[in-house]
Amino acid sequence: MPNIENNTEPDDSISNARLAPDGGDATLPGDTVLRAANVAKTYDSPLPFSRSVEVLAGADVELQAGEIVGIVGENGSGKSTLMQILVGALDADGGTVDRAGAVGWCPQEPLLYDRLTVAETFDLFGRAYGMNADEIADARSRLADRLDFQRFLDYRIDHLSGGNRQKVNLGVALLHDPDVLLLDEPYTGFDWETYLAFWELTEELTERGTAIAIISHFVSERERFDRIYELRDGALHEQDAVVPETPADAGVSGGTPSTNGRERSDEEVPVE
Amino acid sequence: MSTPARLRAGTSAHVRAFVRRPLHVLFLVVLPPVVIEVYGMAMATFPELPFLSAPPATMGRINGAVFAAAFLAGLIGLFQVRSAAQADERLRLSGFRRAELFCSRLAVIVAVSLLATLASFAVLAQSTTVTAPLVAIGSLLLGSLLYGLIGILVGAVAPGELEGSLVLVFLADFDDFLSSGLVEIDSPVVNYTPLHYPHTLFTDAVQSGTVAAGDVGGGLAYLAVLAALSLAVYVWTTGTGGVLS
Repeated sequence: MPNIENNTEPDDSISNARLAPDGGDATLPGDTVLRAANVAKTYDSPLPFSRSVEVLAGADVELQAGEIVGIVGENGSGKSTLMQILVGALDADGGTVDRAGAVGWCPQEPLLYDRLTVAETFDLFGRAYGMNADEIADARSRLADRLDFQRFLDYRIDHLSGGNRQKVNLGVALLHDPDVLLLDEPYTGFDWETYLAFWELTEELTERGTAIAIISHFVSERERFDRIYELRDGALHEQDAVVPETPADAGVSGGTPSTNGRERSDEEVPVE
Repeated sequence: MSTPARLRAGTSAHVRAFVRRPLHVLFLVVLPPVVIEVYGMAMATFPELPFLSAPPATMGRINGAVFAAAFLAGLIGLFQVRSAAQADERLRLSGFRRAELFCSRLAVIVAVSLLATLASFAVLAQSTTVTAPLVAIGSLLLGSLLYGLIGILVGAVAPGELEGSLVLVFLADFDDFLSSGLVEIDSPVVNYTPLHYPHTLFTDAVQSGTVAAGDVGGGLAYLAVLAALSLAVYVWTTGTGGVLS
């Protein structure tokens, strides 16, 4: 049974997490780079006449080096809450999360400083990750080229379109070449070219041993994932592997990539 | 990456973000002269009362200077913490310590406090003779820093900028009114309001040039306690769902 009794005192093993290289120092067996066990979370309010909402009730997930895992679920099922707990942005009420190595986090909403330029943003977060100026410049240049935002480096974040802001959001998560990548709706607003570039990049990363977890409302390109979990009733349920039936299965939702500016909503397929 | 390097990077980024917000710069330019002159004009209609240590219009401008410097810093402190809370949390997860985030925010607030102090002093000095200018500037800076820290405190717990601004407006108004000496209040409570010592020190500096050591000590002690409290609350609320909503 999940431990949801203690929903006020956060579990020490989850608190004070860091994305930086020295942050994940847990010793995990084999190729496991992230392991969450029995994670529970209930949103309580100190105000009277407000009800508690149990979001997670014993969620378990494990990530191996070099694999890519999808986590899907309905709106409000707790996907983003789970992601925030995995990354350490939110304390769980119960359960444990162990990480080995550096973690990269791409939140659903770009949590960036609106009035800094893209270049300044990379510099600030690079310093936070412990990188020096040359390392930051190299990584920034590589990511800007790969995700096609080189020409926006001197633009302020609040002057970018939603799609370009999302590219920067993803770029910040990738800046320090993390061992584990936790991506919450990472391709929201991407155009089709960037969407394809994103998947090329993830394939390269997994070949180099990076473990990736992607949260989305829907996943239709199932062949890209090693495993897919559905978050339902506060717990993760592994989906059976499905071989795509037609090539038209390409396309993923949540601010769907577009071809020539058109949304690809006709190809979105919910997991269930 | 060392703490000083992170502090430099954080402070530099926050300063850039501050000067790119035109409203903040406008506040610094417009608020001191408007507040000081309006307070002076409003008080000019008051009768000469026996417990007032100067003509009402002068007392009004002295009050306005303290309020303008303090409220400006409080507002900037609030905006610094509230508007970037989520980005600060991502930066913390990326490697910044909470205390480093606090200090980099505080560095901006100290700079803003200094500017607000100098702006308020310059406006007041146009119309009022200041007997001890350096002490007066120090007193204004004390009030400004106190409210900068209060701004951090309010920003750390308020659910939004609007709610925080309302709290700050009412707090600063009551505080300024109670500690100004414009009304005779026979209660020790007024000795514990944040602007009590800055008001006393500033009024003395402007009118007589005297400095009471007890007021200086009391003001600095208030500052130290508030700094520790705001750091503790900021650290407590950063990233652990501590915001009341």
